[in-house]
Amino acid sequence: MTHDKDTVMPIKVLAFAGSPRRHGNSETLLDWVLGGMMADPDVVIEKVALTDANINPCKGCNACEKLNTCVQRDGMDIYHDKIIAADIILLSSPIFCMGIASQAKALIDRAQVFRSRKYVLKLPIVPPERKGKRLGVFLASAGQNWNHVFDAAIPSVKCFYHVIDIKDADISYLMINRVDEKGAIEKHPTARTDAEKLGKTVIAEIKKRLAA
Amino acid sequence: MTVTVLGISGSPHRHGNTETLLDSFLEGARAAGATVEKVVLKDLDYSPCRGCNACHKTGECVVKDDAILLFEKILASDCIAVASPIYTMGITAELKGLIDRGQYLWARKFILKTLYFPDEHIKRHKGLFISTAGQNWNHVFDGAFPAITAIFNGTGFEYYDNIIANNMDEFKGIKNHPTALRDAFAKGQKVVGVIEKMKKG
Repeated sequence: MTHDKDTVMPIKVLAFAGSPRRHGNSETLLDWVLGGMMADPDVVIEKVALTDANINPCKGCNACEKLNTCVQRDGMDIYHDKIIAADIILLSSPIFCMGIASQAKALIDRAQVFRSRKYVLKLPIVPPERKGKRLGVFLASAGQNWNHVFDAAIPSVKCFYHVIDIKDADISYLMINRVDEKGAIEKHPTARTDAEKLGKTVIAEIKKRLAA
Repeated sequence: MTVTVLGISGSPHRHGNTETLLDSFLEGARAAGATVEKVVLKDLDYSPCRGCNACHKTGECVVKDDAILLFEKILASDCIAVASPIYTMGITAELKGLIDRGQYLWARKFILKTLYFPDEHIKRHKGLFISTAGQNWNHVFDGAFPAITAIFNGTGFEYYDNIIANNMDEFKGIKNHPTALRDAFAKGQKVVGVIEKMKKG
């Protein structure tokens, strides 16, 4: 199949790597998913390492409930618009102390401006024609082998996607436990295959949605 | 020997609902004769855990900042009250950032086996979680409990109690809640009495 680049709209993928450790297990998992997505020539990927993204925690000032914008000037100024523009938003985080890393939590809490827009000011996040045409992916790794090690992370992740107009049913998850030391995920029997497959599945799904 | 109580306020918002609830608990503890101190995380200078795992070998954190000083203070207290509002179904990034820095204690306990809290020690050290949430859902605090359990386990404190109040948006603040501040004061008094008795016995 050939593509006329002037007519094919790119699929915009925005990926946040939430770990303070660069190229560790959760970021490797993210890279594998992105690798699966990249197989499609229409996909444009931007990956952001939150440890370098200069996103401060939410101040809890609630000013966004009136201003429809955050009073803080930092990295979030750029990512606010990119979050709205993206078709697919991925977030990866290691589990630290039974929850997501504080860098990922800071990003999620800064989505408060979207919550204020949606529920207080009753304004749209994406234009009506883009509703239902956005997908989310959450990826996590944990050192512990407990199955419940990811449980406390999920409610915050769902909130994040919810306020940026990505429904619960449109979030995919891949969470790998029992990987602790850097590189441990490379030895996992299924993580890589599952991640690459997930990348391809999510792209196939967004194409269907965007064409509808 | 007086009972020492340390309050840790994890809210970025000074004197808001959660800090007010913490203050009420600390007043109760003070009224019962405890030595009370409050630390406000937003005024401290510390960075999040880097996930470098260097502490797994040395038992020490490579980052020397206020977080380490605070963990020393925690370890020297009889009772800690860890407070955070619920933001997007979890504790604040400030408090999560602190809790994650306790990894070096976890490493001492489980990898290096240089730190051990006997049951008797844990029983005498009481930890409380203090929180408020805007939402009225009962499950709004569920995502916070595991990380709070982690800091109490890491520092040798028994997870003694929660002082939590939801539905702040509807109450228009903790001051309008019918029972929360009074209950927090009473729990502050009570826990000091319990620890005092153990110290004597």
